[in-house]
Amino acid sequence: MKQFLDKLFKIDRRWLFLLLTVVIILPIAFPTNMKMKSISSSTQTAYDFVEAMPERSFVLLSLDFDPGTRPELYPQALAICRHLLKKNMRVAMMTFNAGAPGIITEFKDQIAAAFPDKKYGTDFVVLPYRAVFLATVTQLATDIYAQYPEDADGTALRGMPIMEGVRNYKDMGLAVEISGTTLFPSWIYYVGDKYHLPVLGGTTAITQLSYSPYVQTGQLKGLLGGMRGAAEYEALINEPGIATKSLNVLNFPHMLAFIIALLSNIALIVMKFI
Amino acid sequence: MSESMLILGAWVTGLLTLGIFSFLYKDNPIFKATENLYVGVGMGYYVSLYFFQVWMPLVYEPLKQGHYIVIIPSVMGLLLLSQLIPKLSWLSRYTLTFTIGYSCGLAIPMTINTDFITQIWGTVQPFSLISKVGPMAIFNTFFILIAVICVLTYFFFSVESKGAVKKVSNIGIYILMAYFGAAFGNTVMARFSLLYGRFNTLYKYGGEHYLYSTPVLVLLFVIYFIVKHYMDKRTLSVQSAQQN
Amino acid sequence: MKFIKTYIPLTIVVVIGTLTLATYFIPHRVSLLYLDGMNSWLSIIYSYAILVGFISLFLSHGKKIVRQSQGWGYSLFMFLGFFLVFVPACLSSGKQSVGGIMTSYGWTYQYLFQPLSSTMFSVLAFYIISTIYRSFRVKSAQAFVLFLCALILILGNVPMGQLLWEDIIGWTGLHIANLTDWLMSVVSVSAKRGIMIGLAVGGVVTCLKMIFTIERSYLGRDS
Repeated sequence: MKQFLDKLFKIDRRWLFLLLTVVIILPIAFPTNMKMKSISSSTQTAYDFVEAMPERSFVLLSLDFDPGTRPELYPQALAICRHLLKKNMRVAMMTFNAGAPGIITEFKDQIAAAFPDKKYGTDFVVLPYRAVFLATVTQLATDIYAQYPEDADGTALRGMPIMEGVRNYKDMGLAVEISGTTLFPSWIYYVGDKYHLPVLGGTTAITQLSYSPYVQTGQLKGLLGGMRGAAEYEALINEPGIATKSLNVLNFPHMLAFIIALLSNIALIVMKFI
Repeated sequence: MSESMLILGAWVTGLLTLGIFSFLYKDNPIFKATENLYVGVGMGYYVSLYFFQVWMPLVYEPLKQGHYIVIIPSVMGLLLLSQLIPKLSWLSRYTLTFTIGYSCGLAIPMTINTDFITQIWGTVQPFSLISKVGPMAIFNTFFILIAVICVLTYFFFSVESKGAVKKVSNIGIYILMAYFGAAFGNTVMARFSLLYGRFNTLYKYGGEHYLYSTPVLVLLFVIYFIVKHYMDKRTLSVQSAQQN
Repeated sequence: MKFIKTYIPLTIVVVIGTLTLATYFIPHRVSLLYLDGMNSWLSIIYSYAILVGFISLFLSHGKKIVRQSQGWGYSLFMFLGFFLVFVPACLSSGKQSVGGIMTSYGWTYQYLFQPLSSTMFSVLAFYIISTIYRSFRVKSAQAFVLFLCALILILGNVPMGQLLWEDIIGWTGLHIANLTDWLMSVVSVSAKRGIMIGLAVGGVVTCLKMIFTIERSYLGRDS
């Protein structure tokens, strides 16, 4: 028995890789339909904040993620943007991440297709990529047009219906930051705390716990964490989408991880007593 | 973009994705080539982005309009290139000290405000609401205060860790272990989410519309590894026969 | 020579650092003008910074090819990858789509950069499962706490895990949703807050040391 367990511990890890591959591919091919039983408090806080905002509030939606973190953060951005447009807010999409401009183009097209009644330039706009975060957010505190004279396509921003009455942070209602990098706390440092513009955000599951103290102090008006956060938000706005579908697939590798962790420790205990 | 370019894109995506995943089986020339391709593609993308989205609007256009002040930061930026020549690398100090001085000057008040004062406020402020909340909230309020003090005691290295300090510090370690465990649990979800993203794409590109790119490519990779395995085995047996 | 190589740069860091720090406490128009100007200059400096990495990469791989060192053939792929993206970018003037139609640059972003970048990050998932199997062993009380919290989060993050918990332990009244929320918004907050405060103190001290030139390691040798 001891020899068998010993052999089991030293199994070639490539068998584990193959097992993981099968466990992920099968639910993609044969999807299930399970729903999250609960909503975490930080996601609920984010949803409640957006619900309470007045109509036609101007919202900055900063999509600062690259293809590496896209699977987690794109569904979050989509869910939040859908909620904002459903509530008839004005959304300005922007980015400070060099890998994001291509993703934003795709995002804008998807939003435009999902909301045919919403017009570009009236309900949403895409601002061009900016390399230096600090320079841009500091200038937005005084004059947005100094940093963004045009949108991403080169059309003059001033004069667009979406920009009516908007000049700086005082005229804005919210900043939403979707990022897995250190840009996320920078929004809190240099925008939320300094200029008192409410900030809420979405981040990867890995970094979610790092920012939870900001939710507790109210520096963040809400926080979505990873795929789960996106699925919870989709449930709150009653529009199950990519995240809900993804979480159904993730059931199986999670259960595999749980079983493997449990079994390897049970085997360790058994080996001690043999 | 034409349909054929999209199908070609699907095949290229499949090849590159499986090329990188092939490392999980064994290090091989296809993985090494894909890895180096990634470095080049990444650099190409970032250079293009900075050139068209940053340098052109911030340097080229102003210069064309006669705003010659941009020459000063341009020269400072070019000084950074002196790092490539060891004898002249000291020139880059001018730019580095400029950026470091500015970043430090900005960071100090922000860090004190956001990560120090406000966090202490967040720990203590809930006590002012203690008469208005339920028993669980009261427990949480006390828990956060005690736990923060315990964690800070663990990181306080100016006092020797013995006696009461050691006991408090040990509690801090348990709190940290709980945090790291939770972080690990979240990391598992994050990594699996990324993997799901890739497999979902491969599954999508395995359909008829994309000419079954994924199954064909998987089959080709399997054949490659089988052939390579037998060729390596044959080479080894020839070598050992020669040695004998 | 030391004056030009060391003292002038140190003077720059003192002057710029102190001025920038002062602008936080002086809410005057001059402060805003100073910050605006500095931010614009930084943007331009950063646009040149990538050249250092770019030239360094080209030189190292170029040398490998010229000397035909081991694995030089793979360096050709590096150059291939670079030109596969840069040339279409120049032809498309840096635009990924024009009038809703994907350009060649957009194609390279979508079908070269995205898959390569995403796949590199996703490979870690396989190593996570291998780590869980081989290294996630409970050998002490502290490791047990870590293990328990990780398992709770692994179960609580997915619907199936929540269902399993509710079926086995839910009857006790201890629901996984509440437990997960408590772990994330109370226990983790406490731990992270302690780390945050410690880092804040350390960070501020380091910044002050840099501004007052006590810390000079960033200058390199002979500083």
